Amino acid sequence: MKGFTLWFTGLSGAGKSTLARRTEEILLERGLNVEVLDGDEVRENLSKGLGFSKEDRDTNIRRIGYVCKLLASNGAVAISAAISPYSEVRAQVRAQIERFIEVYVECPIDVLTQRDVKGLYKKAIAGEIANFTGISDPYEAPEKPEIVVHSSTETVEQSLAKIIGTLEVLELVPRIEGAEYSSEEEEKIKKRLSDLGYI
Amino acid sequence: MARKWFQQAGRKACVVGLDGVPYSMLHRLMRAGAMPHTAKIAASGRFETMDVSLPEISSVSWTTFMTARNPGQHGIFGFTDLHPGSYKTRFPSFRDVRCPTIFECLGEAKMRSVVINQPATYPARPIHGSLVSGFVAIHLDKAVFPARHIKTARQMGYRIDLDAGEVRDDPDLLFTRLGELLQSRRRMFDALEQEESWNLMEVIVTGTDRLHHFLFDAWQDPDHPYHQRFLDYYHDVDALIGHIHTRFASTQNANNFFVLSDHGFCQARHEVYPNAILAREHFLELSGAAPDPLEGISESSRAFALDPARIYVNRRTRFPRGSVPEGSVANVKKDLTALFGALEHDGHPVVRHIFDGDDVYDGPEKHNAPDLLLVPYNGYDMKGRVTADHPIGPRRLQGMHTWDDAFFITTRPDLVPARDSFHLIDVPRMLLESLDVY
Repeated sequence: MKGFTLWFTGLSGAGKSTLARRTEEILLERGLNVEVLDGDEVRENLSKGLGFSKEDRDTNIRRIGYVCKLLASNGAVAISAAISPYSEVRAQVRAQIERFIEVYVECPIDVLTQRDVKGLYKKAIAGEIANFTGISDPYEAPEKPEIVVHSSTETVEQSLAKIIGTLEVLELVPRIEGAEYSSEEEEKIKKRLSDLGYI
Repeated sequence: MARKWFQQAGRKACVVGLDGVPYSMLHRLMRAGAMPHTAKIAASGRFETMDVSLPEISSVSWTTFMTARNPGQHGIFGFTDLHPGSYKTRFPSFRDVRCPTIFECLGEAKMRSVVINQPATYPARPIHGSLVSGFVAIHLDKAVFPARHIKTARQMGYRIDLDAGEVRDDPDLLFTRLGELLQSRRRMFDALEQEESWNLMEVIVTGTDRLHHFLFDAWQDPDHPYHQRFLDYYHDVDALIGHIHTRFASTQNANNFFVLSDHGFCQARHEVYPNAILAREHFLELSGAAPDPLEGISESSRAFALDPARIYVNRRTRFPRGSVPEGSVANVKKDLTALFGALEHDGHPVVRHIFDGDDVYDGPEKHNAPDLLLVPYNGYDMKGRVTADHPIGPRRLQGMHTWDDAFFITTRPDLVPARDSFHLIDVPRMLLESLDVY
């Protein structure tokens, strides 16, 4: 298997980090070398000192992209989970990396402000945080991501199934037999087949 | 080369699938004037009967159609299969299809497919185009690619399937649900035909199969209280075909229209349980109650069956409690052939054909194939149930699948192979040829 980059993008609190970490677990179980570059962690290390102006955000994303490129070119899976709000710089990163899979974690802003997992939306709405994506700064949703997940209407398992399923089809990740259905789905399929007399 | 690409990019084809519609039924309906749109399309081209892949069930047939390969290549042998190296049942999914689909082949030629309600495509996976999975899809958000169509589907109240348990004893509710399903297909077709660029448009109607399972008697008997409603439903199906054909015919390069079924149907009179027969004749022994009955298979068992009538020799090289060495497989097959070939009920033979898997399947997945396939006479509905304690019992459903008496219609008679008999696998090959993709 060759290295590739899995690029999560979406508003704060949409579920990028959760999905990135769960994807990492699955890929590790399948024998791949994986590194996650989580947006919050990167800002404490690689991009410490950068702010949230457009210029600084672009620099942050370019740095993450550069590290992803190095990891992927050495056979690892690089998973980025940063907001990456601007389409132009995302396109620049995509152009640098041979196997680049973009995952748009979509969630409506009203759901995110209600969830407010980090308490940041409340502060941003109150004006206590400037340059907050989705409130006082723009988020440019990707137009043609390879994968879209909807965290307000899907379970984490459903979103993961889409992500892993796509990676399997693209032959970036090895398949495993019989892992497609949850136990709930299996029960429902069994009932449908039985009701139609097939089993 | 560039000119060929542009020509290909402009070509279009349209497929309408009618799950479980027999040639004989469609022929009578068209002759009676009950399906005028379909009759007109058929009259402009070829209308033929065909056999389908074995076993004659939708997951196998539709996968054969969408890959243009036999099960020995695509790897789907039934609605159920066994986990490798075990007797535990699993349900193969779209991800188990082991070769490219025609949608991927078209995608390589930069042609886009819109596929609506194709059975055996769940969970939906990315294709060059759009896909709305059919049976056995459970969750809409796993049944749709790309995800932007999920919202469209939800807003229109799209229904993947009916609840068979809800309708099997309520014919009025059955027809209501069948109408809702047809509406769903039409609305999704209308939406995607407009929104998406496409070269292949495919719409599968699966309500026909449901109707036949539960109310086939209403077709057979003109005095049946639901006979007219049965005909009315087919009038609505014909209207949908006409609508799709009219829209298709209005586009450029639009003379490649196909209609097909994935298997035939006939009236069921009895159910037949191969596993009960195998147990009676000491080919199969099950010890105790296991959550998954075949997991209780004993080491002395020589054969077992999976739905509907797939017979597996319990080979040492294949199964954990396999008892039959490879050198003895041929003899066991011979004994099984004799057993099922001699099966009678009230003086009538039950099994019409016994096919050897070696003769039917070809390809890298052949090692997972059944050893024998039983094709019954009409009326004898084979069931792979493990727990039946008698070999033949009353029917539970009114209709059963048939391996022959499926059909295809094409408006491209020039593509039909020059022979007297046809197989399901001919149709996707004609389809690809109509789009200049080989």
